[in-house]
Amino acid sequence: MLCDMCQASLEARIDGELTADESREIDRHLATCPSCARQFATLSETRRLVSENAMRYTAPDVLKARIRGAVARMASPPVVAPKTNRFRWWREVAAGVAIAIVSSGVTLVAANRSGTRYSAEDELLASHVRSLMPGHLTDVLSTEHHSVKPWFNGRVDLSPAVPNLDAAGFPLIGGRADYVRGRVVPVVVYARRQHMINVYAWPSSAAGGAPPNDLGRNGYHFVTWRSGGIEYWAVSDLNAAELHTFVATFAAAR
Amino acid sequence: MNDGDLQRFERVVLPHLDDAYTLARYLLRDEHDAQDVVQEASLRALRYFDGYSGGDARAWLLAIVRNCSLTWRKKRRVDDRTIPFEDAAPLPTSDAEAPDAAAVQASEQARVQQAIAALPDEFREVIVLREVQDLSYREIGDVVGVPIGTVMSRLARARKRLAVLLQLDAREAS
Repeated sequence: MLCDMCQASLEARIDGELTADESREIDRHLATCPSCARQFATLSETRRLVSENAMRYTAPDVLKARIRGAVARMASPPVVAPKTNRFRWWREVAAGVAIAIVSSGVTLVAANRSGTRYSAEDELLASHVRSLMPGHLTDVLSTEHHSVKPWFNGRVDLSPAVPNLDAAGFPLIGGRADYVRGRVVPVVVYARRQHMINVYAWPSSAAGGAPPNDLGRNGYHFVTWRSGGIEYWAVSDLNAAELHTFVATFAAAR
Repeated sequence: MNDGDLQRFERVVLPHLDDAYTLARYLLRDEHDAQDVVQEASLRALRYFDGYSGGDARAWLLAIVRNCSLTWRKKRRVDDRTIPFEDAAPLPTSDAEAPDAAAVQASEQARVQQAIAALPDEFREVIVLREVQDLSYREIGDVVGVPIGTVMSRLARARKRLAVLLQLDAREAS
């Protein structure tokens, strides 16, 4: 074999891109040609040094959560039946039958439900589910709490806490203004793995603080607490234990 | 996109985020830029997931990361001359005293890191795809969008430069 041919194949020999036969041919030449053998040694050493010492980076958890959050937002939101525990299936059937019979069915359902008045949880659940539809989660998309908090100025009439909870594994996703319970409220959005956590804030009618109170329904969890004259509600499909951890971390970060 | 596709995307593509981030770190030499680009690339991958026909998902994602990095660099008008050589310590000479294994290892890593950073973009990407990501010539060709012959010649020239930067050929000559 000629040295030119050998040298043209040295890279491929080192990278394992040659057939067994081709490799053997190169090796035979290297055994007899000191010049090519020297080049081969330099090349091998370069390869070894670089592949053994080059950094392999790990994507930050915040980045992974952001991406998983974006993927989760693409997912169709779970179908949620707007019913309460008090609203038994047979009453739905009855209402359905009534709708079929009575022409003003809509009025009837509205009347029927007015007995149990839309609760805060109903509205929050609807808002939470709506927020998971593509493009509805955030008005300000930022993982930087210094840019989310000021964004609320002039949009809503209270300034919610926007703590940085990255270290606890709850990266900030962003914020939005939403209309719930008859007023425009700030919503701060955090993520946990692929789960989104919406944190709503209202001016509190009661003074002082209050410990977290958990109200779950339809597979979602609601935790409400008071702090600094603001009533907070965290809503998520995250499991109850982790949502409580989130609330505890959020409240402590104030 | 239906839930099945999303689950497949999560299972097939998302496990390669570390590799995606590593490539972006090398191509952009800035951790914040790398994060932004990997996020953008992942969303683009999600959008074009229909077009992913099977095959190696890692190489497919890396190709998107590379394209996003190039676009990012153009957009940001990153001037290679401004790449901060000055914050890198001078290359330790190979005949420096070697007190212990850990220090040697650390200094080897620093030398290699600086040598890779000093390569021109088109050489750096093939070296990272080959030595760090362990892709085959064919996969590198797919990611970079060049024929295998070009991959081979770039790799050869990149390694020659690295040998000089790492003072391996000097050692050889002496």
